[in-house]
Amino acid sequence: MATSATNNQIKSTGSNETALIRLLRTWGTIIVIALVGIGFAIASPYFATVSNFNNILFAMIVSALVSIGLTYVIVAGSFDLSIGLTVTTTSIVTAFLIPVTGPFLAVVLALAVACCIGLVNGLLVTYGRLSGIVVTLGMSFVLGGLNQYVTNGYQIAVDYREEAFRWIGQGRIGPIAVPVIILLLVFLLGWIVQARTRAGHYMSAVGDNPMAAYYSGIPVYRWVIFSFILAALMCGVGGVILTSISSSAQPVGGQGYLLEAFAAVYLGATILGKGKPHVLGTLIGVLFLYMVSSGMNMVGVPFAARQLFNGLVLILAVGANAMLNREEIHLKFI
Amino acid sequence: MTWQNQSPVVELRAISKDFAGTPVLRGIDLAFHPGEIHGLLGENGAGKSTLIKILTGVYAQSGGSVVIEGREVRITTPKDAQRLGLGALYQDAELVPSFTIAENILLGHEPGGVTISRRAMVEEAGRILREMGLDLDPSRRAASLSAAEMQLVMLATLMHRRFRLIVLDEPTARLSAQETALLFEVIRNFQRQGVAIIYISHRLNEIKELCDRATILRGGMISATLEAADITEDEVTRLMVDRNRSELEVSNPGYAREGQGLRLEALATARLKPLDIEVRPGEVLGITGPIGAGMEEIERSLGGLTAHSGRIVIGGTECRISDPISARKAGIAIIPEDRRKQALFPNMSVSDNVSMPVLRSLARAGIVTNGAKRRYGEEVMNRLNVNPRQPLKAIRFFSGGNQQKAVIGKWLQADARVYVFSEPTAGVDVGAIAEIYEVILRVASEGAAVLVISSSLREILALSESIMVVYAGEQVCRLPRSAFNYDSLLATTMTGKLSATPEAVQ
Repeated sequence: MATSATNNQIKSTGSNETALIRLLRTWGTIIVIALVGIGFAIASPYFATVSNFNNILFAMIVSALVSIGLTYVIVAGSFDLSIGLTVTTTSIVTAFLIPVTGPFLAVVLALAVACCIGLVNGLLVTYGRLSGIVVTLGMSFVLGGLNQYVTNGYQIAVDYREEAFRWIGQGRIGPIAVPVIILLLVFLLGWIVQARTRAGHYMSAVGDNPMAAYYSGIPVYRWVIFSFILAALMCGVGGVILTSISSSAQPVGGQGYLLEAFAAVYLGATILGKGKPHVLGTLIGVLFLYMVSSGMNMVGVPFAARQLFNGLVLILAVGANAMLNREEIHLKFI
Repeated sequence: MTWQNQSPVVELRAISKDFAGTPVLRGIDLAFHPGEIHGLLGENGAGKSTLIKILTGVYAQSGGSVVIEGREVRITTPKDAQRLGLGALYQDAELVPSFTIAENILLGHEPGGVTISRRAMVEEAGRILREMGLDLDPSRRAASLSAAEMQLVMLATLMHRRFRLIVLDEPTARLSAQETALLFEVIRNFQRQGVAIIYISHRLNEIKELCDRATILRGGMISATLEAADITEDEVTRLMVDRNRSELEVSNPGYAREGQGLRLEALATARLKPLDIEVRPGEVLGITGPIGAGMEEIERSLGGLTAHSGRIVIGGTECRISDPISARKAGIAIIPEDRRKQALFPNMSVSDNVSMPVLRSLARAGIVTNGAKRRYGEEVMNRLNVNPRQPLKAIRFFSGGNQQKAVIGKWLQADARVYVFSEPTAGVDVGAIAEIYEVILRVASEGAAVLVISSSLREILALSESIMVVYAGEQVCRLPRSAFNYDSLLATTMTGKLSATPEAVQ
């Protein structure tokens, strides 16, 4: 024992694993994604084109924003099932307020509403001592009810003359759509927050070992609440963009983003072998889901097969990663 | 630097503490000087841990005051203690597994403003590690460290926080001799920087080697404070043993009978050297030694929680025990120390808990009725005197002693041939201790082979028919109970060398 411990001090981590496994752990998911992309490019001449790439990016905007937001909550050790309906709610609030307050204030207020949703979620999960799953499930029902109540089940149209507002979702700077630029900016900012700032650092610590964080004098509750606010805020941005793109707010439909976001976050966690969710991985995860959707569309694969494919890739990627990072005793089933 | 010439950094003045009227500390006066390593010795229950918890803000004292650099302070939370420069390294300290060593060392004190400078962090952590004489890469993940390395990194986190006083509670429990030497080097480094250190250990040689002086607690009072040169085994034993404490009126009359009970042949794990023991049916073997000496490895091997080599033979047939399921099939009942985590379903009722291992025999055509479980639960509660007699109440509402009785009750009908009790009375109220002893002895009298693993010598002496002492992963001796009295057993566990009562070893 004594000798093995001292040897460990000299050797670097995991010295007994092969270079191949290390390579697979880091690059495995990306290799699979690249292979799938190459496959589509061979199968369809229209797949690997700039315009198709642009289309994919445009299609994934809202989903990507929601997924990036969810990443923070999961990193901080909780769950948020209300993200999909937060998108719908902010979308409705935006469309509802534009005629009242003008577009600028409407956007600001919609984002503020989003932050409030996150704040309530966070407070209930921490000081309220409730489970994140339960709280956010309840929140999503509450929001769904409110959305129906406010809209009466009809869409809310935005006046066609609101050009400044429409620019958010429909404008272009050069060849690139404005919402794509917004997504990339949010992504960059979100990445920096996670990888470089105190906030991101503490959210990871809290999610990984809350007890150690607590003993180190880190305000654990504050960072959990912060992660919920950040997630809701991202959904808010998505909701505003959604309203602008279609010049209207739909009373339902946001719930679809929830499942995509979970898939993207867990797929993203396997990217670069980090083993836990990170913003870059999440973005690549969303890109993969939408790339598959677009590619299969071009090749003419039925919708059912797409779902099947996405599900299998998710399970395989996460499963392979778990195999590469084996724990001694595994007794966690969430 | 000599600490004697300096004014004390932390003083305890007439500290007392009682729990619900039972005095645990009765007027402790102690002073700790900068650059002093102060050993703290005492039996289980002498008040060591209570004293430390008062100092680090986990408990509030009932009387007396804590004075830091001449100023009286109030310490009500662990955070207060940290702010005042009082740090502690507990036995169950933890790191953030996915963070690097550097990130763990500087957790909560990262350099930089809104953004964190990773480079500065690695540099700072590297500096601290070098200062401590540790050869560890600050960019390594904490999850990849051995238990010993984790312990050293925990120490590094204390280093960074610039404490005035650091409490180390059995820091060598998980370390090998070589790692212990490294740890001592680190502690002396703290000392050179003028930090006062309180060092708690059961191992006398460590105290002798490391400490400038040592205080011995007995029955909640200071028995004596010895200078390093005066620390001898005889002296410490004399000062430690509380002659006034009433002995428990329990002893094992000897239930061992002929036949095949439990036999371990060359059982070994990473932290336990090959061990041969035989426990006859009805025999109670008490196993004791310093915390971390390897006694718990025996429990973990028999419970299927640790990979081991060697043979485990029960009732004459060899059993392969690779996980808790095979351990249960082999007829081994483990009553673990950490009941809440390892043996109870806290939100389930007593009857649900105790009927868990016998559901099959309670079932009629595959269906277990609540009535059957309740009747079984009542029966177990009657036999073991679990109070209050409410079989449908969630077990978390019961006291520690009654919970422990219920855990034992789980195995009563489960046909176990080997019982392993680990610290059976830890966290058990005094009134229930005698009852638990009775149950353990009854289990033995009914013919099971019983292992009692305990760091309480009184417990070992009360329950055992034979006693084994483990020290540094090795068996020191295995002798009949009559070979020991309290003093000789204490001396043996503290030094790792047999010092049995002369008249008994013939």
